[in-house]
Amino acid sequence: MTNILTWPIDLIFQPGVFITAIYPGLAVLTLTLAGIIWFERKVTAKVQRRYGPLYIARKLGGFPQLIADGIKFIFSEQIIPKKVDKLVFIFGPILLFTFSVLPVIGIPLSPSYAAIFSDLSLLLVLALITLSPMILIMLAWSSNNKFSLIGGLRDGYIMLSYEVSIILSLLAMAALYNSLDLIEISQAQKGVWGIFLNPIAALTYFIAALIATGKFPFEISEAETEIVAGWATEYSSSLYIMNMGTSYVRAYVMAHLFVIVFLGGWNPIPNFMLAIGPLPGLMIFVKSMVVLCLMVLLRSIYPRFRVDQGVRIGWHKLFVLSMAAIALSVILVVAGLWGQIT
Amino acid sequence: MRKNLNYGRADTLTLFIGPQHPGSGHLRLIVEIDGDVILGIKPDIGWVHRAVEKIAETKKYVQVIPLVERPSIIDSANINLGYVRALERLLGVEVPDRARYIRTIMCELNRIASHLYGIGIFGNMIGTSTVFMWSFGDREVIIELMQELTGARITHSFFLPGGVRGNLPEGFEEKLENGLRYIENRIPEYRNLFFENPVTMSRLMGVGTLDKRKVVEIGLTGPNLRASGVEYDARITGEYGAYNDLKFKPVTRPNGDCYARLMVRFDEIKESIGLLRKSMSKMPHGPIMHESKKGMARQLLMKVPEGEAFSRVECGRGELTFFVISKGGDKPHRVRMMTPSFRNLSGFENALIGHRLADIPAVYGSLDYFPPEADR
Repeated sequence: MTNILTWPIDLIFQPGVFITAIYPGLAVLTLTLAGIIWFERKVTAKVQRRYGPLYIARKLGGFPQLIADGIKFIFSEQIIPKKVDKLVFIFGPILLFTFSVLPVIGIPLSPSYAAIFSDLSLLLVLALITLSPMILIMLAWSSNNKFSLIGGLRDGYIMLSYEVSIILSLLAMAALYNSLDLIEISQAQKGVWGIFLNPIAALTYFIAALIATGKFPFEISEAETEIVAGWATEYSSSLYIMNMGTSYVRAYVMAHLFVIVFLGGWNPIPNFMLAIGPLPGLMIFVKSMVVLCLMVLLRSIYPRFRVDQGVRIGWHKLFVLSMAAIALSVILVVAGLWGQIT
Repeated sequence: MRKNLNYGRADTLTLFIGPQHPGSGHLRLIVEIDGDVILGIKPDIGWVHRAVEKIAETKKYVQVIPLVERPSIIDSANINLGYVRALERLLGVEVPDRARYIRTIMCELNRIASHLYGIGIFGNMIGTSTVFMWSFGDREVIIELMQELTGARITHSFFLPGGVRGNLPEGFEEKLENGLRYIENRIPEYRNLFFENPVTMSRLMGVGTLDKRKVVEIGLTGPNLRASGVEYDARITGEYGAYNDLKFKPVTRPNGDCYARLMVRFDEIKESIGLLRKSMSKMPHGPIMHESKKGMARQLLMKVPEGEAFSRVECGRGELTFFVISKGGDKPHRVRMMTPSFRNLSGFENALIGHRLADIPAVYGSLDYFPPEADR
């Protein structure tokens, strides 16, 4: 009898299920999305001397506004234009959303709690992160719209310019920690966090993540006044939500990776407390929310760059910075070895 | 121009930007692009044409005043004044001094409002919604001041041939000073957030450059002309208002790019604040309406002698010219208005060739083009 009662609870707390479905997977992700979009709108409104979302639950400051918006979107008419490639047009957003959520499976919550224990989990997360932009270009092509096409191509250009830097800056950290395992990387930051060891890599990663998620000032592929909504121009209703949510999901994943690699993961929780249920996970969550808030804050400060400027920043600035980050890591590693020898 | 556009080529793309486009306004830009580079651009206007000139022929002279301000309600005082000045020339009426000063105050307030509007739209076009919200909010201060003076927020119809409709209300000087001080205090914030934002500067510097000779050749006007270093402003002609007494000097910038055009507007706000203070302190006493034109009945039943008259005023967006023909009677025979936005339209074709697709909103915003004003 007790078996039947406890079985579902046990199932939910299986790392494989919990991480994909609860945290950092779908459940918390959805709530966070609603929260972060609310935060973005509210902060932007404060900077712009407006109220922002307000009327739905006034006492909560309009927090459930996003739920209302979601309901509105879902029940609005789903328009599928005649000349689109229907298969890609419909399944594209679904794939896009799925592939953007997928990298969370590699993110560990504590030294003993991860969906995947692997020596190469950093590479796995990186590989999964780089999947979704391809789908995006596919979507843009399937829409059969000039503005979508331009948006997709812009995203392609931008993708080429940020991905190298994002990978190199993470590999610089991997060289520093001498590991590609996210758990080991996180454990290695018991004392000094990665951001203090190699600030260049952290900066490069942060800017590249801004570009990758289309946050201001790099909101280039959806630039409204230039190309309507970029690659999402033809979408409406629930498919549009999935498209719009993707950028936030990617930001969410990028923020988690940033926390694990640069902000010490679950540190500074001492070893004997790591076993206390949700504590390490909570630590990661709080840190990643701070990073995420920082990412959306920039909307109220910056205009957007042109696409050629975005690409130039990617190759001329970020690429150089990521090389410098690798050099710094190598110097630190050599210095460490020298210290051991002498 | 037309030969630049080669529709249907296999290796280029023709984009129809507008009239239903978030960045177009009531205007269609037909753009030929090769990759990201603009080969040719042709503005297609007329989507909000309301036949103001034709309707004017069917109305009495004084009824045309509210009509002509409709094309550009953001800048209604200046556009009104153009028509009223032409009418005064036909009638041979001289305006009392106090009325000239009140007109100057209205025109300068409206210029600030118009520039704030332009800067806000420009900000929104290149992606910073903050400056859009700020400037629209701060424009409210100016609008309140104008409401205090005229009773209306944006369409004032405050000027009549021979003077102005009302005197300065009680305590207006203090309210004006408070409003101006508020705008002045906001200026550093705008500078930090927008004008000296590195992203703004890198987006706008060296983009859409038009040199001195070119702007004169294609007939740009207003801030767009002055941004290329041409020191011309219809206010220095001294044909209207109190600008002769106020020792006014036009604001210019040498570069002629989008950033220069933006900064000329920004500097003109400061210039206007100075002009407002000066005209308030020099405000003469006396009547606000010419003796022969006092009273609504005189205005409505006004007969205008046969003749032609031309007038020009400096609107927020540039020089506005009116040409009114009278064949006697109480209705104009022909009213011709040449609005600044219509003249600034040629900036699109000349400033954008060879630039990027993303520069279209930048150049559009920097020209401060306002479709209803151009279409009339």
